[in-house]
Amino acid sequence: MSGTAIDAPDHDHDHDHEVDEHAPQTLGDGAAPPSEFELTSRALQELLQEQGLLTADQVRRYMEALEDEYPQRGSQVVARAWVDPEFKRLLLEDGKAACAVMGIPVGSRLIAVENTPDEHNVIVCTLCSCYPRDLLGTPPTWYKSDNYRSRVVHEPRAVLQEFGTVIPDDVTVRVHDSNADMRYVVVPMRPAGTDGWSEEQLAAILSRDTLVGVALPSA
Amino acid sequence: MIAGNSRQPHDMGGLEAGPIDTVDHGMAFWERQTNALRGVVVRSGLATLDELRRANEDLGDRYHELTYWEKAAVGLRTVLVERGVVDDAEVEARMTEILARCTAAQETAVGDRGPE
Amino acid sequence: MMTAPAAVGSPPGGPSSFTPAPAARFSVGDRVRVRVTHPPGHRRTPSYIRGKVGEIERICGEFPNPEELAYGFDGEPRRTLYRVRFMQADVWAHYAGSAHDMLEVELYQHWLEPAADLI
Repeated sequence: MSGTAIDAPDHDHDHDHEVDEHAPQTLGDGAAPPSEFELTSRALQELLQEQGLLTADQVRRYMEALEDEYPQRGSQVVARAWVDPEFKRLLLEDGKAACAVMGIPVGSRLIAVENTPDEHNVIVCTLCSCYPRDLLGTPPTWYKSDNYRSRVVHEPRAVLQEFGTVIPDDVTVRVHDSNADMRYVVVPMRPAGTDGWSEEQLAAILSRDTLVGVALPSA
Repeated sequence: MIAGNSRQPHDMGGLEAGPIDTVDHGMAFWERQTNALRGVVVRSGLATLDELRRANEDLGDRYHELTYWEKAAVGLRTVLVERGVVDDAEVEARMTEILARCTAAQETAVGDRGPE
Repeated sequence: MMTAPAAVGSPPGGPSSFTPAPAARFSVGDRVRVRVTHPPGHRRTPSYIRGKVGEIERICGEFPNPEELAYGFDGEPRRTLYRVRFMQADVWAHYAGSAHDMLEVELYQHWLEPAADLI
């Protein structure tokens, strides 16, 4: 499997020319020749594979984990915190340790910040795109955008309003610039009307945006 | 207060900017591949995230011209070449080769379909 | 030519036998001012927070210095990292939100100085 120049990405490309089933994942491929950046990335991967420094399988498995597994974790962790006060206490004290209890490995130190009737939290990385990937996967387009990174630190209420989230004046808005070694996740307030819900039901209303702090969950 | 010429292009917190496009536009296949490649490169100790960030910050005006994933691809190349893990001429040659491969594959695919 | 660099296999920023990390200079609740300096190179201190006064919210621990890691060095000695809480009204001249709104930023010790003398 290793040693050949053509590996997983090429395999997918070959099929894209014939069948459309992967079309949503392959925008820009197909008719148009690959850009210099796509070529750069593919050339680097091939050269690293040939040296035995990594395998196509590693890249493919990490891609799948980022897309399928990691995005589920954040909502599972917070749903657990909603039903288990002792777990919530641990999560707020040491996010990484709490995730480990659930069998979720988190690479960085994790700071969970809790929304309360008096305080709303929102996360940004103004310098690049630091994000709790282990819990939420790859950040959405807007999180990496210049406009979000520029504005949310100095006009958080206006930015939240653009997401449809209005924070009353008597609630403190607390912005976290995730600019160095910590990673953050917001623990939203559990909405009314969710009494007796299972962790699975609760996790389903904890969207990525609620865990970054730009939206609020609703029952 | 902040000397204008000392602020690097990535250091944008506090600047005026337009409305947020709150839609997640997803990622093209090559972007997903680049994302995963970068993650494996860092996890394997072939480069640090800090080096990759620095390579992006040093792009100057290109920082704003390139998309996020274009910068990621360029940054990987810069740092892997710096570290001597790959040779720049070899990267260039391989890019040409892959382009030729894609072109050939496309022609084959078109030929296979035949007249419709 | 294509030999793997020696660094492969040993995680970047791994343990070093050289200079130990400096002890934490500040405690939770201390007032600190972010240094105003604009050195070239890779820095994790956003421009907007330089010169601002805040309060140590927590001590995050010791981490390899990203200003060194960014150039392929091992990041030793490690630096103490803090989270510093700023009142938004102290950071932006015309902040439009509530007077209670806060902004928290991660800052390494060498970017901070005591603010007690300044107030």
